[in-house]
Amino acid sequence: MTDLAMIHRSESAVSIELQTPDMTLNIGPQHPSTHGVLRLIAKVAGERVTDVEPVIGYMHRGYEKLSEVRTYAQITTLVNRIDWVAGFASEVPFIIGVEKLMGVEAPPRAQYIRMILTELARMASHLVFMSSYPLELGATTPLMYALREREYILELIEEVTGGRFHPNFNRVGGVKPVYGGGSMTKKWSLDLPEGFLQRARDAMDRMEQICDDIDTLVSDNELIKMRTVGIGVIPRDKALEYGLTGPNLRASGVAYDLRKVENLLPYDEIDFDIAVRQGGDCYDRYVLRIEEVRQSSRIVRQAVDQIPSGPLQTKVPRVLKAPRGQVYSRGENPKGEFGYHIVSEGARMPYRLKIRSTSFSNLSILPWILQDALIPDLVAIMGSLDFVLGDVDR
Amino acid sequence: MSDKQIRFPFRGLWEGMWLTLKTMLKPAPVTMYPQVQEEPVPRARGVIALDVEACTVCMLCARECPDWCIYIEGHKEEQPPSKPGGRPRVRATLDRFDIDYSLCMYCGICVEVCPFDALFWTPEYEYSEPKITNLLHNMDKLTYWLGTVPDQPPLEKS
Repeated sequence: MTDLAMIHRSESAVSIELQTPDMTLNIGPQHPSTHGVLRLIAKVAGERVTDVEPVIGYMHRGYEKLSEVRTYAQITTLVNRIDWVAGFASEVPFIIGVEKLMGVEAPPRAQYIRMILTELARMASHLVFMSSYPLELGATTPLMYALREREYILELIEEVTGGRFHPNFNRVGGVKPVYGGGSMTKKWSLDLPEGFLQRARDAMDRMEQICDDIDTLVSDNELIKMRTVGIGVIPRDKALEYGLTGPNLRASGVAYDLRKVENLLPYDEIDFDIAVRQGGDCYDRYVLRIEEVRQSSRIVRQAVDQIPSGPLQTKVPRVLKAPRGQVYSRGENPKGEFGYHIVSEGARMPYRLKIRSTSFSNLSILPWILQDALIPDLVAIMGSLDFVLGDVDR
Repeated sequence: MSDKQIRFPFRGLWEGMWLTLKTMLKPAPVTMYPQVQEEPVPRARGVIALDVEACTVCMLCARECPDWCIYIEGHKEEQPPSKPGGRPRVRATLDRFDIDYSLCMYCGICVEVCPFDALFWTPEYEYSEPKITNLLHNMDKLTYWLGTVPDQPPLEKS
């Protein structure tokens, strides 16, 4: 008998109950920390997770297939339901992709309105993160603070577009210019309402205030630091390997932001910095998003000051038909790279639409990062990746 | 982190409690809904109102709806000639105009494509129902909502 087998036998002879070989633990699908319906099949040895297999698809709505039987104007209302926390930000890459296919470009005022609303959507998304992440760690108070401030952002979005979550304000060739098609409603312009620019500036004051407040409440808190510093570290090369984008990548020390790389919206006329942190742990991912809200408020302030005047839409044909061809357009969603691959056969509807959704790609690192994590840290790590299950399953 | 703790233990906790105290003394920004009515912005997409007189049963809204939740039926009616000796007119009249709000995505495409000013958005929001089938609202209900269409807000100078 070898030594190993003897040790094994002697151990099992001592106590069978103390032996905790790999036990399968089902987490989800209905778990509050999973931001939707995500099921994790975790193999645990005691408190330690040895293997994790995410099961997705509980929220599959088939937007890629639905888009093949919808016209381009109708798809806009579908795509802002993919990532509902920041609906406007996922509309913009799609509509710019269609514009590229058709060879039209939005007038500057429409591009500025798109930029302002995208940044507002980004702030709303990050405020949801700033409220839900401490909640997952056990702090319930910041939820009230951040969601209270998010309401001011959503009010701004609502008074321009009419919808809080699903703006549906982008049209091919600009933003929605008029109320309707009749002789009377044709004259009702949907330009920015009076006082919007000033209210946006006031809301930015509030955003900077809430960033400081959340810093005081959460970021400097010793308990939060104990739960997050050094937990779930994603090194730079692993982040690149798994194709992370957005704040998760930038927290690992890669200064990659599609707002600077791609030229979808006039971000080059705005002065702002890419927030980068080097550690790559949960705390860095959390603090980086607060920094991004500050940068977004800088962008909105400048955009509101230098918004040009002019029309809201260029002339496009009444029946929109994109010519034969294909295009991939991507933009910086609050959660990372959001891309649409549109294949057109010359009809009113796309032949095929492939959605590269951010959370789906960011989720792919989950089995690697949860290896050898403790079960209490599992919630902290998953929350810090900031995914939305509607975005994962599409 | 460590030198902060040496200076004052659990300083972050005390700072957080101080912020909580300050917030506690401020007035709450909550609208107490059933007692106090919230006022939505004029552009809010609450519910769709219908102007029956303006509708010509052209079916554009029903065709362009992304999830086909508008049901329209109509018939042609002979109108007497406007002048004596003129030709009698034929006018399309609505029999049925139902919107199934359990399917509606509130995208506003129907309002946008209507060429005769028959559909409008109104910020009305109190029409929830205990049964999902009751969300199919008919012509009378949609016409009732026409009275709640707000004026368009003044625009920012550009």
